[in-house]
Amino acid sequence: MATLRLENLSKRFSKKIWGVRKIDLEVHDKEFIVLLGPSGCGKTTTLRMIAGLAEVTTGSVLIGDRDVTEAPPRKRDVSMVFQNYAVWPHMTVYDNIAFALRLKKADKKEIDKTVIEVAEMVKIPELLKRYPRQLSGGQQQRVALARALAVKPKIFLMDEPLSNLDAKLRVIMRTELKAIHQQTKATSVFVTHDQSEAMSMADRIVIMKDGEVVQIGTPDDVYFRSANVFVAGFIGTPPTNFFNMEVESKYGLKILKHPHFSLELDEQQGRILKNYDKRKLILGARPENIILTDKDKAIFSAKVLVTEPQGSHKIIAIKLDEQIVKIVAPHKQKAAPGELLHLSFQKESLHFFDHETNWRIEQNGA
Amino acid sequence: MNRSVKRGAIRAARMTTLYIMVIGVAMIILFPIFFLVSLSLMSGYESYYEWPNPLIPAFSAKYKLEKSDEGYHLSIYNKAEKRYERFGPEKFGTTAEDLEKISVFVKRQGNSTLKTERLKEEISRLVDRDEVFFSLSKNLLANYKVFFQVTRDAVPSVIRSIYTALTTIAISLIIGGMAGYAFARYIFKGRNLLKLSVLFVRMFPGVAIAIPMVIILGRIGLYDQPLGLSLIYSVTQISLTIWITASIFMAIPVELEEAALIFGTTKFGAFWHVTIPLALPGLAACAMYSFIGSWNEVIQAVVLTQFNPTFPVVVYKVLVGAGAQVNLITAGSIAQAFPAVLFTLLIRKYILRMWGGVRV
Repeated sequence: MATLRLENLSKRFSKKIWGVRKIDLEVHDKEFIVLLGPSGCGKTTTLRMIAGLAEVTTGSVLIGDRDVTEAPPRKRDVSMVFQNYAVWPHMTVYDNIAFALRLKKADKKEIDKTVIEVAEMVKIPELLKRYPRQLSGGQQQRVALARALAVKPKIFLMDEPLSNLDAKLRVIMRTELKAIHQQTKATSVFVTHDQSEAMSMADRIVIMKDGEVVQIGTPDDVYFRSANVFVAGFIGTPPTNFFNMEVESKYGLKILKHPHFSLELDEQQGRILKNYDKRKLILGARPENIILTDKDKAIFSAKVLVTEPQGSHKIIAIKLDEQIVKIVAPHKQKAAPGELLHLSFQKESLHFFDHETNWRIEQNGA
Repeated sequence: MNRSVKRGAIRAARMTTLYIMVIGVAMIILFPIFFLVSLSLMSGYESYYEWPNPLIPAFSAKYKLEKSDEGYHLSIYNKAEKRYERFGPEKFGTTAEDLEKISVFVKRQGNSTLKTERLKEEISRLVDRDEVFFSLSKNLLANYKVFFQVTRDAVPSVIRSIYTALTTIAISLIIGGMAGYAFARYIFKGRNLLKLSVLFVRMFPGVAIAIPMVIILGRIGLYDQPLGLSLIYSVTQISLTIWITASIFMAIPVELEEAALIFGTTKFGAFWHVTIPLALPGLAACAMYSFIGSWNEVIQAVVLTQFNPTFPVVVYKVLVGAGAQVNLITAGSIAQAFPAVLFTLLIRKYILRMWGGVRV
């Protein structure tokens, strides 16, 4: 087990194309880190640089206290699970798992013991004699996982390991992976583009966009204290609703103006926005923070466009001019298309973002 | 009920037609080969004097010994004409020289062994009658034996041919395989142009390359050497190998190699433990092409060898040489085809895997 440190890491593919620009990251011992971002954001490239499969343009990778920037993959003490499993088709499951141990010239009994141990951990002890072509995708991914666990690495790397599985299996494997991590306590770096996967598994999430880190934080951090509009829009389903607002002051209180409604803030929130007088900002409201209320308490009213029942709850899309606002309502809530709904905000859960930079307006910020 | 009977009849008819067609096509392909093999097992008499040629070579021949004016003469049964015809000299005496002559003649033309003692014995039976009949078993492989006995250095030429073929395989697999891997895995400037231009060397006929090569090989001391010949064969084989191996390597996901790198191999180790085993069917196919290509090649070999010919050159020289017998030539060509067939059978396991056995 070990820590992992990325210092000023960057990858340039060609003169104008950057894969990753300047990443600084410290992964603690036994931590489960998820790199999250849309496709092409550089998260896989980062992982490949940690593994040693991609050359580093500038910066360095440190595992433990050792600088491994120039070391070949086999000398880094890492193991990896690939998106397309990458189990070797010409070897049995047993040989796949034992491959690395045999290269290390481990004792035969030792190998046998380890293989059976990890096979039981990923629940494939009965498949050891089969060839990968005789296995389903989920089973192959378990083999890949067992192979990675068998070497007892310092760092455990996973490159979208669940994205080739069907939706149901993905959720099952997610739980099992987390359980395995709690058992092995291996420092892990997990790459995914699925935010719900990231939220459910990570100790900390690293959100990336266009080769840069946008926010590093716990799942609660990125959800409740999203660093900018991109993060707020990326995390959570349905995504955060955004409103362009204008700030006005009245008797020392801040009032946010929208063509359809105005929102009066309390003193504490007003303090955050003290520099934003007469300026524009972006208001972010998560679907569950917009609540249905009576007509007299309503901040705004709008007509229902569609409803999307989810079983446990219901998503109601309402139309405000050209903008579609989504809210989460209890499953019992009735909302026929065209019906007028009266809505209010949970003011303490609102997010404010700068209109120009799109970054979060902090307590003592800007 | 009626409908199912009808359907069954239609299916039977369809299957029958299919089988007739399949068998017909197989016959068209196989008959020339069968005829070649059959001819190679016939004696000179069978192949030249029995017309139409028998389809199946005889295992024995019937002979008739008669008294003639001042001696004896021998006849052989001609199956096409259905009568005995004179075989050998018009008359011969009982001198040792004459008997020896007949014995050799029977061996050469009839592929049978007629020892002089046996001939004497048969002659002695003629005391009380005019003619005796006897039959001699035929030595089926006599043509092959004769071919290797009478052609100058047939056996060394086979060894040279095998050496040439194997070195061609080695050279073209090593160089072509590495180039194919580079084409499959790396992106570099002019890759497609280079890949196309590799095919360029195949556009020239063998003779056109061979003649200038006489001088080049002569300068480096490889003229009339199997190694020199395999270098020339490799030129054409490498381009084919590059194309086959490049597509094979491309079909092997690069992640399989990367996984090997992570789990403890060097780059070469990943290639050795993962890529090579997976590419084996393609490499086997390349080896087969190289083997057949260099084993059967005549024209360049004729130009580029003098005292150390390869086996196909020997066969070719028997074919064009004076006094060649058709049954000897067929024996030579079957002997030439045999190793290629054997080699293909040996590596068929790997090649069959490529055509749909195991998915990479």
